[in-house]
Formats: sequence, structure tokens, C-alpha cells
Amino acid sequence: MSRWMRRCLKSSSLALLCLAGSCASPYRSLKPAGPPVVSAARYQPVFEKALYRCVVDGRFFFRRFRLSGVLLLKRMPDHTTRAVFQNEMGFSFFDFEWDDRDSFKVNRVIPQLDKPAVIATLEKDLRLLLMKGLDYGSEQYYRDDAATWHRFTLDKGYAWYVEENNLLTRIENSGKRRVITMGLSGPGQPGSLPGGVLIRHHRAGFTIQLHKINQDASE
Amino acid sequence: MHKIPAFLFCLLLGIPAFAQPKGYSPVKNTQAFQQELIQSNRTKQTISSDFTQTKNLSLLEDRIVAKVKFLFKKEDRVRIEYTSPYYYLLVMNGGQILVKDEQKTSRINTGNSKLMQSVNRVMIDCMQGSVFQNPDFTVTAYENNTGYLLQLVPATAAMKNMFRQIEVQLDRRSLDVSRLTMKEAGGDYTDMDFRNTKHNVALDETLFKVK
Repeated sequence: MSRWMRRCLKSSSLALLCLAGSCASPYRSLKPAGPPVVSAARYQPVFEKALYRCVVDGRFFFRRFRLSGVLLLKRMPDHTTRAVFQNEMGFSFFDFEWDDRDSFKVNRVIPQLDKPAVIATLEKDLRLLLMKGLDYGSEQYYRDDAATWHRFTLDKGYAWYVEENNLLTRIENSGKRRVITMGLSGPGQPGSLPGGVLIRHHRAGFTIQLHKINQDASE
Repeated sequence: MHKIPAFLFCLLLGIPAFAQPKGYSPVKNTQAFQQELIQSNRTKQTISSDFTQTKNLSLLEDRIVAKVKFLFKKEDRVRIEYTSPYYYLLVMNGGQILVKDEQKTSRINTGNSKLMQSVNRVMIDCMQGSVFQNPDFTVTAYENNTGYLLQLVPATAAMKNMFRQIEVQLDRRSLDVSRLTMKEAGGDYTDMDFRNTKHNVALDETLFKVK
């Protein structure tokens, strides 16, 4: 075998190794951490009403799109939770509802969004953020240098809640790879809704930004 | 022979019956009213107004209120600027639309823009008096001692997907829009209550720049 071929083979092997490394689970470096770690259940937000400015940025068939509006989250007297998204001019895009057992239903959605994949994606984002439908019996604890990672088993893949210095800073959804990551900003304390959320859909290639705003101009 | 009430007749035929608004009676001479509207708006080169937008969420028993600045310049330039509780700017100049939020300026070309275009078309129509010629809606005019009410019922499938009905209230004396209500199929509705309306104030062209 010529020297040139050997060099080529060596380079290809190295490239394959690098590729294999990049495909490896991003959670490989985490170390299991047993109890006494407090459950992430304490971070489930308790709220009556919250209003977020919402911006969706993405790309579909090489065309960029941007959709913005206002997201209202409200806990109703009958213990249902509602998520209503409307554009700036007040036109409603969807109205989602979870009952007290976290069972989900769509009250209203505009025809343009009325597609199973779209509804499932939006519902999953909100469910992860509001910590609904989690199997707390499946919770496992991991650690890295800076954070505690709480892992919950979902129907498909896992939900990760990342805690640093007693603040919830990140939520992730993964299979073999990261599917969704949510960066959370302020206040992050147990029981509170975040002030800001940046949701990245790694496979679908779009982001959702949420920024908490005052209830409305009349308050 | 028994007379079947109109609403029951409509119900039997499956045609939505839009009741006469409470406190209003139909405008007797619609042609004359249309002419009056066109004549009045002919003198208004610019309009500057503020409006409060209240989204009423019927099932949630809640509302979202926003403060907005509205500018209109003939023939077809509109600037709508949401200042609270979020920032959002929409400029329409001819066939072009500019949208600016807290982070980004862009031209929109989505389903969202169809809504904005239709709402703005209704606004421009009201400003120019051409609302009765809007092909997307069937318009019925009502009146009382203080004003007029235009009931716009969607005539196209696209509009029916978005609105159940749009109502435009006009001041009887000035024929300015005092309230615009968008009613959605689900029962939610949005009121835009106009105030501080001024005519023919100088409005710089840069306010309507879309490039």
C-alpha cells in the first residue's frame, strides 16, 4: 500500500472518529447523582396569569419566516390551565387547555396551524415549560461540574431540568440527541415562571422567544 | 298561513342571522349615506388618532389591553404603532407593509399579513368612505342619534376563517371611526376605541417609509 493511501486511510479513520464523537450523546459526561437530591417538582410553576411577548423565527424550504404575538397563560378556577396565543392585533391563533390531570385538548386553532405535527410541537413546548405530564417516579439525578440534571422519562425520550445554585436555568428534551433546548432567564426560583425563555428546535430549525410583559396597558 | 319569524327562517335554511344591533335602526337611504361618507372624507387629507385595543377572551373571562397610535395619510398610507405593553409597528404604504418589533424590522408575507391587510383595508375604507365597495364583506349600515354602525359580514372563505363579523362605529357629526370591533368565530372579540382624533395635521413622509 502506498504511503499516500495509508495517509488517506488514516485521515478517513480520524474523520470517522470525530463524526462518531459528535454523534455521541451530549449527556455522556454527566455522572449519576443519587439522593438526597431534591426533586425538580418544586420548580413546577404556580401562577394565576402570565403574559408573554412571543416571537417565532424559522426557515421553511429556504424561506425565512417570523411570527409574533402575545401568549397568555392562565390558571382557571376549575383548575384547568389555558394557553392562548394571539397576534398583536388581537386575532387568536390557538387556545390550548390542560385539565387538572394534565390531559390536553385544543379549544381552538386557526386552519393554518391545525396540523397534528404543529399542535404536537407547540403542546410539547408548553408542557415542558409548565412541567405538565411528568412521571415523577421516573426522575433520575445527574451532575456535571456546575449543575444538577433531573431526568424524566417521556413516552419518547427524556425531559431534562437543569438546576444551578437552586435556580432552574435550562430545560431540554432529548432522544439520542438534543431535540429541544430551552434557556431560561430570571427569576428561576422554585414555583415561578421564567422572565424569558429561548426555545430552540434543533431538528425542525426554528426558535421561539418568550419575554414576560406587564399584564396589559390598563394595569 | 303562519308567518315564520325571520331568524327562525334563517335558522331553518342554515343561514346565519345577524341581528339588528341594539339601539340602532337600519339606515334608510344607504346611497345618500355613502355619498355623505365619501364627501366628508374627501376633506380629510390626514388623520391622527390614538386607540385602546382590548382583546376580550370570552371563555377565559379575561382581556388584554394595548395602547396604540394611529396615523393615516391619503391615499393609502397607514401607520399603527403599539406602545404598551409591547412595541409593534406596522406601516402600510401602497402595496407594501413594514413590520417592526422589539428586535427586528421586516416585510411580512404570511397569513398574518392577510389579517393585517384586511383590517387595514377596512380602516382605510372607513377613512376614504369606500367601505361599501370592499368585496370581502357584505356591509349593512345602521344609525341612531349619536352615530352610525357598519356591520361587515365576511363574504369570502378567507375572511370567514378569520372573522365572524366586524363592526365599525362612526361619530354622527364628524363621521370619524370611534370604535372598530372584530368578532372571531370562537366568541372572542377585539375592540379598538379611538380618541384624540385630529384631521389634516402635518404628517411627515418618513413616518410612512417602508424601505
